[in-house]
Amino acid sequence: MTIFLMLIGLVVLVLANVPIAVALGAIAAIAIVATQGVYMLPNVALTMYGGAQSFPLLAIPMFILAGAIMNSSSISRRLMDFATALVGFIRGGLAHVNIVQSMFFAEISGSAVADVAALGPIIMPAMMRRGYSRAFTAAITSSSASLAIIIPPSIPMILYGVMSGSSIVKLFVAGIVPGLLGGFAMMAISYYLALKHDWPVEDQFSARRVWFTFKETGWTLIMPTIILGAIFGGIVTATEGAGIAVVAALVIGGLIYRDLDRAQFTRAAIDGAVQTAVVMLLIATSALLGIYLTEAQVPQRLAAEILEFTDNRYGVLAILNAFFLVLGCFLHSAAAIILVVPVVMPLVHAVGIDPVHFGIIVTLNLAIGQQTPPVASVLIATCSIAKADIWEVTKVNVWFIGVLLAVLLLVTYVPIIPMSLVHLFYG
Amino acid sequence: MTGLARLRRIFERVLEIWVVFLVSALTVIVVLAVIWRKAGASFVWYDEVGSIMLAWITYYGAALAALKRAHIGFDGLLLALPWRWRVVVAILGEIVVFAFFIVLAWTGMMVLEVLQGMTLISLPGVPVQFTQSVIPIGAALFILCEALSLPEYWHRLREGISADVAEVSEQMHAQEAGPT
Repeated sequence: MTIFLMLIGLVVLVLANVPIAVALGAIAAIAIVATQGVYMLPNVALTMYGGAQSFPLLAIPMFILAGAIMNSSSISRRLMDFATALVGFIRGGLAHVNIVQSMFFAEISGSAVADVAALGPIIMPAMMRRGYSRAFTAAITSSSASLAIIIPPSIPMILYGVMSGSSIVKLFVAGIVPGLLGGFAMMAISYYLALKHDWPVEDQFSARRVWFTFKETGWTLIMPTIILGAIFGGIVTATEGAGIAVVAALVIGGLIYRDLDRAQFTRAAIDGAVQTAVVMLLIATSALLGIYLTEAQVPQRLAAEILEFTDNRYGVLAILNAFFLVLGCFLHSAAAIILVVPVVMPLVHAVGIDPVHFGIIVTLNLAIGQQTPPVASVLIATCSIAKADIWEVTKVNVWFIGVLLAVLLLVTYVPIIPMSLVHLFYG
Repeated sequence: MTGLARLRRIFERVLEIWVVFLVSALTVIVVLAVIWRKAGASFVWYDEVGSIMLAWITYYGAALAALKRAHIGFDGLLLALPWRWRVVVAILGEIVVFAFFIVLAWTGMMVLEVLQGMTLISLPGVPVQFTQSVIPIGAALFILCEALSLPEYWHRLREGISADVAEVSEQMHAQEAGPT
């Protein structure tokens, strides 16, 4: 009964636009006082401090800062030039350029909204000038940006890793194949639509141009690859790699491209701190809720209830997929992970699902959630930049949401797709 | 610019400088820790200090995020309500936010009293009271920032501008200031 009342209270507060982090904390504090007495109230401060002290989460501000510094330099234009040289010759050239530059940018940034904010203002006007419809332009920009949370590094994967106790490095590695698969499938759909609507090709392919634009962009592409390689190879931890990524971003933007000044660094650091704080406050207040949920054995009870219904691994995965897809329509990805992952992990372990495999499933679900209104952070950001109507864009975006759904089903029911590289690297 | 808007701007600037310092210091610590570890001389205090700095970035950054109204929320239903109901629900929501952080500041002070005399494990010269002071201070700052950003929130409510749209236009504005 208490759980039911807490859930109702939480929904009411969230609908009243109380920040989710505060709503969680307020409901948890009331539940603690109601069930354990007012003398337990100092636990609120202790738990909120302890909850914000997770060492592996240090990677989050570092990766956000590295991405924000890169955003501040001329990387967006350079990436677009390189992607145009690489795939602009294919029918529907700029659509492919859009996807390919999103895939490259995903290697630098772990956040899809950052992707859209950096790349959208340049590629979208260019696409519309070349005759692509506003709705298609926004749809492909929005959907391909969500590859940022599937291709490493990925902020949601770091969060999932900490909340589930699984290896962040293995999650990063497991995201590579599904991310590439999603990108290439989006290119295939774009090619089909380009033939149908007779969209143009850009310049003819020229190896010289590829080499020239690669030299212009090279550091931006090579440095993140080296850092990710060092993380995958166990030379540095994810947190250390993230710290090195910040230094690399500073060197590339400030010394090599020479277009990063102190004001831009300050802006990037502020963005990094604010975004980190927003996520970390959620984690801290969810730790407060965790006290109550653990006491009431909610995760174990939920696992028992579902296992009574089915103990088939694929049946459980279908239930969890449906749950996360619905949740993604109404909840921001960070909030969904922080709230739900600790609750469903006992169930995931009980039916023998690999937590790393499940992490990729969760991430893909939330990538779809970023595209499905009413709460669709990336879609809304894109539509705002493109000045496009969300529902008009969604009609076209169904194609790309379909791609992400297909990748989700493949990843769910053919585990070797995400896990092949993990097995290859880590046995 | 009104007096309140000027106060908000000064406050925002001070908090921004402080969080930029914290993030920069954390980056330097993480990078130095990698170099020292590779040189075979790991810092004994790295894990403890790193985690404490993350907690500090969390609470000082959360206050700054409150000033910018950047915390994750859902304003879809609120903005769909008729104006009169929108005001009532928004005021009730704000009361919850203030109440929560008043409780946090108060319990944070209680905890500080209990922690008197305790020090960090890896740095015995640093009192735990100092590191945990971030809870009452952060909570008080949050309350102040929430109050200072009320006029802007009110304006957004009246115009029906969602937080997502406001955030993107701010990011675009920041990007226009620099090269792309």
